[in-house]
Amino acid sequence: MNEHDAVFAQLATLGASLVLLFGIALLWRRSLRAYTKAFQWQSLVLSGMFVLVGYFGHDPQLYLMAVFFFVLKVLVIPWYLARLQRQVGGERESQPYVNIATSLITSGVLVLLAYIITRPVVRVSALPTRGGLPLAVGLIFVGLFVTITRRKALTQVVGFLVLENGIAMLAVLGTYGIPLIIELGVFLDVLMGFLVMQVFVYHIHGTFESIDVDQLDQLKH
Amino acid sequence: MTGYLLEISQALMALALAPGLVGFVRWWKARLQGRRGAPPWLVYYDLRKLFGKEVVISKNASWLFRFTPYLVFSSTLAVTLLVPLIAAPLPFDRVGDLLLVVYLLLLGTFFLALAGLDPGTAFGGMGASREMTIAAIAEPTIALSIFGLAVGAGSTNLGRIVAQTLAHPGAAISPGHLLGFAALFIVMLAETGRLPVDNPSTHLELTMIHEAMTLEYSGRYLALIEWAAALRLLIFFSLLANMFAPWGVATTLTPVAVSVAVIALIAKLGALGLVVALLETRLAKLRLFRVPELLAVSFVLALLAVTSSFLLR
Repeated sequence: MNEHDAVFAQLATLGASLVLLFGIALLWRRSLRAYTKAFQWQSLVLSGMFVLVGYFGHDPQLYLMAVFFFVLKVLVIPWYLARLQRQVGGERESQPYVNIATSLITSGVLVLLAYIITRPVVRVSALPTRGGLPLAVGLIFVGLFVTITRRKALTQVVGFLVLENGIAMLAVLGTYGIPLIIELGVFLDVLMGFLVMQVFVYHIHGTFESIDVDQLDQLKH
Repeated sequence: MTGYLLEISQALMALALAPGLVGFVRWWKARLQGRRGAPPWLVYYDLRKLFGKEVVISKNASWLFRFTPYLVFSSTLAVTLLVPLIAAPLPFDRVGDLLLVVYLLLLGTFFLALAGLDPGTAFGGMGASREMTIAAIAEPTIALSIFGLAVGAGSTNLGRIVAQTLAHPGAAISPGHLLGFAALFIVMLAETGRLPVDNPSTHLELTMIHEAMTLEYSGRYLALIEWAAALRLLIFFSLLANMFAPWGVATTLTPVAVSVAVIALIAKLGALGLVVALLETRLAKLRLFRVPELLAVSFVLALLAVTSSFLLR
């Protein structure tokens, strides 16, 4: 491995750990606003990763994708989330299904698990970015974990978005970015998915006057 | 021989600097809050005053209560011999490594908690139970976060780890180092009773942890315990500074290298003191039941630090 690749490997792993760190920081917070903030920071670092891989991997397309990613996930979606939160009330995630200390430990274990299951891939890979692959898979697990253990519909949405960030990071680290047209399709899908979920949140709120999904198993009328 | 001499003088220097460091943090904090603040050397006068005062001990206190201050002080002093403060491979490295450092620190905590229980006051017991709640999560995290470095360096010896990091400076920005640093920083705040966990400047009965255990002490016993607490702060600061950013630490025992190392150490301690003072003015104290959650964050960080440096070797 030459000097150029060594620096790239260091920076890529560092960026990936930062992204994962924001995913874990999410678990510690309670308020929806803090969730949105953590997601926003995470997306910011992730768009920096796009630039980094674009620079070291000599792929100018990634710069364009970094801009799209930035606009969508750092500006548009957090703005929507904040608006949604204002409309349905800034409820706190006061009692998740799994308490906070346990979710933190669990997320640590999930990342360990990600290290174990990606070990064969990392071993055969020759990419300088391979050190970040387990962290990306770990972030996918953490996102999934947030989605299934939080009680409020909005925090579940943030969990889903974090999961999607994990997939984006896996793509950019594992393949130096998939072709632009596919990536654009994925972005559009995320946006559509997000809008659909937003409509759901409105309906849940409208019907139950709360976005606590625990109440969904009660019949209203 | 020079090595041993240096080791002894390093411990004496730590002993002399520690109260000044505490005073320095307090002074910065006062400045940041818009107060004039007591001069940093006030802590030395306080210690002298306490040493000159009469000791008052409760009738119910046993020998344990009188023995604890000496034990806390000497175990903390012993740690300064093992932590690389100014020079890296030192003769005492053979005596003990990271695990001994962690256990010596825990020994002091344990006896202080016992001494808090001993006179049978309500506050002492409360402080002891809180301190143990925190120590139970914090101590493994200290070990784990430095293990992250030990795995990279191939040795649990603190001096060896420093020498390894100096030889391969690129390792200092590896995720293992950064996550370990963040983990140890959070634990440092908890272990030295700094703000989001414990407030060092109040005796509010609902929140105090460290102060509640030492409430019954007076005179020279209190002086020893306060001095040991200051030393503990210095030890944690220099662990953070020298394990994770070891630049400036002397690897040869020439007068020039050693004096550079002393200046670098003081500069690093000052910088960390400023960071802690800044944090303390910005943060509010956490609710007691949120503290284990904060420590769980740092435990997970340390766990990830070890994992990533183990698997990315």
